[in-house]
Amino acid sequence: MPPPLQAHRLLISHRRLPTPARRRFTAVPSLQSAPATTLAPGPATSSILSIRESLLSGERTAADITSEYLSRLRRTEPSLRSFIHVADAAAEREAEELDRRIASGEKDAVGPLAGVPVGVKDNLCTANMPSTGGSRILDGYRPAYDATVVRRLREAGAIVVGKTNLDEFGMGSTTEGSAFQVTTNPWDNSRVPGGSSGGSASAVSARQCIVSLGSDTGGSVRQPASFCGVVGLKPTYGRVSRFGLMAYASSLDVVGCFGSSVFDTATILSVVAGHDKMDSTSSSQVVPDYASELVSLDLLESKPLAGVRIGIIQETLGEGVANGVISSIKGAASHLEQLGSLVEEVSLPSFSLGLPAYYILASSEASSNLSRYDGIRYGRQVSADDLNELYGESRANGLGHEVKMRILMGTYALSAGYYDAYYKRAQQVRTLVKESFKDALERYDILISPAAPSAAYKIGEKTNDPLAMYAGDIMTVNVNLAGLPALVVPCGFVEGGPAGLPVGLQMIGSPFCEGNLLRVGHIFEQTLQNLSFVPPLLAES
Amino acid sequence: MLSAAAAAAFVIPRLRCATRPRLRRPSARTYWPRPLSSSSNHVTPAAAAGAGPGELEPPDLTRLANAARITLSPQESQDFEPKIRQVVDWFGQLQAVDLESIVPSLRAGTTADSSLREDKPETFDNRDAIVEAIPSYDDSYIKVPRVLNKE
Repeated sequence: MPPPLQAHRLLISHRRLPTPARRRFTAVPSLQSAPATTLAPGPATSSILSIRESLLSGERTAADITSEYLSRLRRTEPSLRSFIHVADAAAEREAEELDRRIASGEKDAVGPLAGVPVGVKDNLCTANMPSTGGSRILDGYRPAYDATVVRRLREAGAIVVGKTNLDEFGMGSTTEGSAFQVTTNPWDNSRVPGGSSGGSASAVSARQCIVSLGSDTGGSVRQPASFCGVVGLKPTYGRVSRFGLMAYASSLDVVGCFGSSVFDTATILSVVAGHDKMDSTSSSQVVPDYASELVSLDLLESKPLAGVRIGIIQETLGEGVANGVISSIKGAASHLEQLGSLVEEVSLPSFSLGLPAYYILASSEASSNLSRYDGIRYGRQVSADDLNELYGESRANGLGHEVKMRILMGTYALSAGYYDAYYKRAQQVRTLVKESFKDALERYDILISPAAPSAAYKIGEKTNDPLAMYAGDIMTVNVNLAGLPALVVPCGFVEGGPAGLPVGLQMIGSPFCEGNLLRVGHIFEQTLQNLSFVPPLLAES
Repeated sequence: MLSAAAAAAFVIPRLRCATRPRLRRPSARTYWPRPLSSSSNHVTPAAAAGAGPGELEPPDLTRLANAARITLSPQESQDFEPKIRQVVDWFGQLQAVDLESIVPSLRAGTTADSSLREDKPETFDNRDAIVEAIPSYDDSYIKVPRVLNKE
């Protein structure tokens, strides 16, 4: 359990650049009040902490824990296919090495993620493992370096168990766009896990690993978190280094994370966040110890969110959103009200323009970023008689259907004569979207919405209709355009599959206010009664 | 229960042009100067406001594939053409929005404090791995076929 807080009002101010006076957000812990009857003990707070305790007490070894997770991974992989590459030998070796260091009494042996099995999305470079980006053009490619976030995970003692599946180069919302395999949803293996970080979400949901890293350019962490019933965090643009993340759209990409609890997600964020000299877009803002700010359930008084103002985005609850999703979100809103907050509907002008603007900007930036995959310095090469033909054939052979589409669309939007009509206008819409969020976040501490218009749909349902697939991103892309942080927490179920399909609540905050989101998310999660987000396939094993 | 029905019912939201959308008019901002290339653009945003998305020339897939250095098979061209046209038409809805005097945002703007590191070269410690990844390497050259100049 995290150390108890002192009994005083905990003022949590958040910084905004350039600052008009902002409302302070207050969570009220209180030692003297006994827990109200509505705050019965919630689900286990943290797998990371349990591991830490068992390692420190000597009750378990890292080798033992790693072996447990790897064995569950192997057992569930034939059905799930979350991993493109499983690094069992390396993971076992690292676990043994950690045990040796702990046994020898080494001072800093037990780091914040010591012995924690993690999955890493395959568009993040890992030096000792293949990194394909989900694409044939990088089949067999081994990077010469670790991404900064991977290096930080390792330094904290995490055990990387493998590289998770994704839509090729992050382009897609189902993980069906992977060149290698289709990952299935642990809640129903005829359905998609979401995308593009489908493997990372599915792996955490099925407890194949404890936490995982993904990337979010237009919702690629938040939507799969909702589909798989896990916690997903998209940090503020600049909060986490992108060095070593294979770029899709550089002004929109962020590295995000998944966990089965808000506490675990907060822990991994603290480890990977922070300035990196190798990423000039990374921020030097101080990284708080996010997990230490999460209040333990028995220290909360009965209205822990008193004074918090929450806005539900009107445009996300209308036509086109599944009824089950709307009622889950409204249920979550009323739960938040019971916790003491004020919840009101708020409208965001320009909301619907964000989707075409996003696809114009993302495709345009992708057409530029993916020009490096030319078969010359790395990856698959198709031989040819002249250089241009080599480029053309290597890329034709190595890049997938959706990737080619987006490169061609981006090339079109950027071509001479069309820049003003498409790219520049999309950037202007971006300004409108940023301003409307900024206005709303001056009146509300947090904005909420669904993370997707439906729960997980069937594999193959959207493969032939690009616009139908793009439509599902309406809840998430505006957040990327504005660079804001967002947290998705499982909040309910809709009918479908053997045990229902999870629905996630998206919470959006001001830049660098991940702490606020995590605090509210943690309280929400801990007070959610009678809902367990452990998929049925785990109950069987 | 919901997925198929929701997929059928969900329509990409299109901008309703009957009422002008409420625009932010930021104070003290200069109008973004038009880049020189816009002189060749025969459709100005103002003119396009009244026009539909069809006013701009549709994508020439052969030219685009050449510019993107991707060889498309005839089958692929046939397959891509309608899909790309459909998406580009959908992009066209931005033509109808009045965006006069809105400054384009190059980025999210969350990191005003982005810094540059010192311009000091450091030797990378894993050159071997870089070299190993090169498909056609002939120490110390990367081998490529001849370059044909098409004038």
